[in-house]
Amino acid sequence: MSPRSLSRTSLILLVLALAAVLAFAACKDDKKEAGKTPSASPTPAAIDISGVPELADGKLLIGSDIAYAPLEFYQTGTETPDGLDVDLAKAIAEALGVQVEFVNSGFDGLIEALNTDEFDAVMSAMTIDADRSKLVDFVPYLNVGVGIVVPADNPNNIAGLEDLCGLTVAVQLGTVQEKGLKALNDETCGDNDVKIVTFDTNPLAVEDVSTGGADANYSDFPVAFLDAQQSEGRLEVVEPAPNPQPYGIAVRKSSTELKGALTQALLAVKGSGKYDDVLAKWNLESTALP
Amino acid sequence: MDWLLAVRFDVDTVGDFLFHPIILRAMRETLYITLLAMVLGIALGIVLAVMRASRNSIASAVAGTYVWFWRATPVVLQLLIMYFGLRQLIEDDLFRDNWTRWRAAVITFGLNEAAYMAEIVRGGILSVESGQMDAAKSLGMTNLQAMRRVILPQALRVVVPPTGNELIAMLKNTSVAFAIGVVELMNAAKIQAAQSFKVMELYTVAAFWYLVLVSIFSLLQAELERALTISERERPETLFSRALTLMGGRRGI
Repeated sequence: MSPRSLSRTSLILLVLALAAVLAFAACKDDKKEAGKTPSASPTPAAIDISGVPELADGKLLIGSDIAYAPLEFYQTGTETPDGLDVDLAKAIAEALGVQVEFVNSGFDGLIEALNTDEFDAVMSAMTIDADRSKLVDFVPYLNVGVGIVVPADNPNNIAGLEDLCGLTVAVQLGTVQEKGLKALNDETCGDNDVKIVTFDTNPLAVEDVSTGGADANYSDFPVAFLDAQQSEGRLEVVEPAPNPQPYGIAVRKSSTELKGALTQALLAVKGSGKYDDVLAKWNLESTALP
Repeated sequence: MDWLLAVRFDVDTVGDFLFHPIILRAMRETLYITLLAMVLGIALGIVLAVMRASRNSIASAVAGTYVWFWRATPVVLQLLIMYFGLRQLIEDDLFRDNWTRWRAAVITFGLNEAAYMAEIVRGGILSVESGQMDAAKSLGMTNLQAMRRVILPQALRVVVPPTGNELIAMLKNTSVAFAIGVVELMNAAKIQAAQSFKVMELYTVAAFWYLVLVSIFSLLQAELERALTISERERPETLFSRALTLMGGRRGI
């Protein structure tokens, strides 16, 4: 091949590569549009949000780890977030007269991302606990329990948390359950520690139980329940003592106005009956917070 | 200095974790996985490179397909398939008890590395003049003998620098094994960060140890390259050889 024809070939290849990049870039823009979840046409706001700097752009940006069905997840084959948290966020945004957009972000980094202004709030099945409350403020909105996913017929006869001592338990990074297992090791298990296996997302932790790498997966009850239901009889769920701590919408410590607006909006959503509708849609009426 | 005070960085946390047993244990894990996977990768890589260079078209095609497969898929996907996928496929208890996440990680990283090493060694083989193969054979050596006694020893010098690169890349890439629940340096730091919310502090600890480990590897690589240089005059100076010179030792060891 002569140098001349070589350079022509490379030129053609370069043009093709550029075309491919441009095509993908265009494609990405489309997806970004599709990923937005606008609330139904914003109604005139009943709540005054003029003093809330985060909502000045007419948009509530919510960070969430969207891999936790039925609270937040992507419907198979779509890039649209769905789930109880998503529906509730839409109702709240509607009450505030703003648009809502979900940003998918790893669970363990959500609080750090919120505090570095990546989004306005976090709604990600996040249980209120003392350590988190040192860093962010919460608006409580749902009271779920915890659940333990075990192989069918519960071979290790797990009934409560203390039965996990000595077993291998798969858990998601940064959750209250991960912290709970560490506390269990410190306080209850003695020399017979739980072997904690940590994963970035909860579905991988569940996969570890169904392929026998772990004896149990410890998560929130609605999630554990759904995981067992969808496992075609390979997994079942155990409900240990209920967790008294509710889920909360997290906001920055400095977001006092936003916290007030969200609290008001949540009250309005409860008053209009939408709160109960959303919970009923996901069969989680029992988790309602008065 | 207002901007500096605004940064919530707790130096004490860095001190607490720098030599914390959890971090040191995780670092040992990183080293074990890296070294074992590298040994597997280099050994299999040499075999594959020789197969590819051979005149046997079946051997060459098998090696070519292997390299294509393992280079064409991301290592995290390979880990998920090798661990979860195989365990799902083979429901046998004996297999599941032995196919631990740790072994799956070492073997997957090793098999993946073999594909890259095969190309590096192949480059080394091609760097040796083809006339040498003919010369070796005219002395009565078989193909494999010529490869082992004449070609590969010379290829080694060309192969060492990129292999050092691979080793360093592997050391850092082992963190992907978190996908199957293996905790090494990066993820031990990540787990501690998620619990304590001291994110940057823990990442600083991890960065420090990666720098230390990679520096040690780089020094060892320099020594090895020096040892492999035939001509005394061309021998590169290394930290170790310079130290010897400075201490009044012999020059050109």
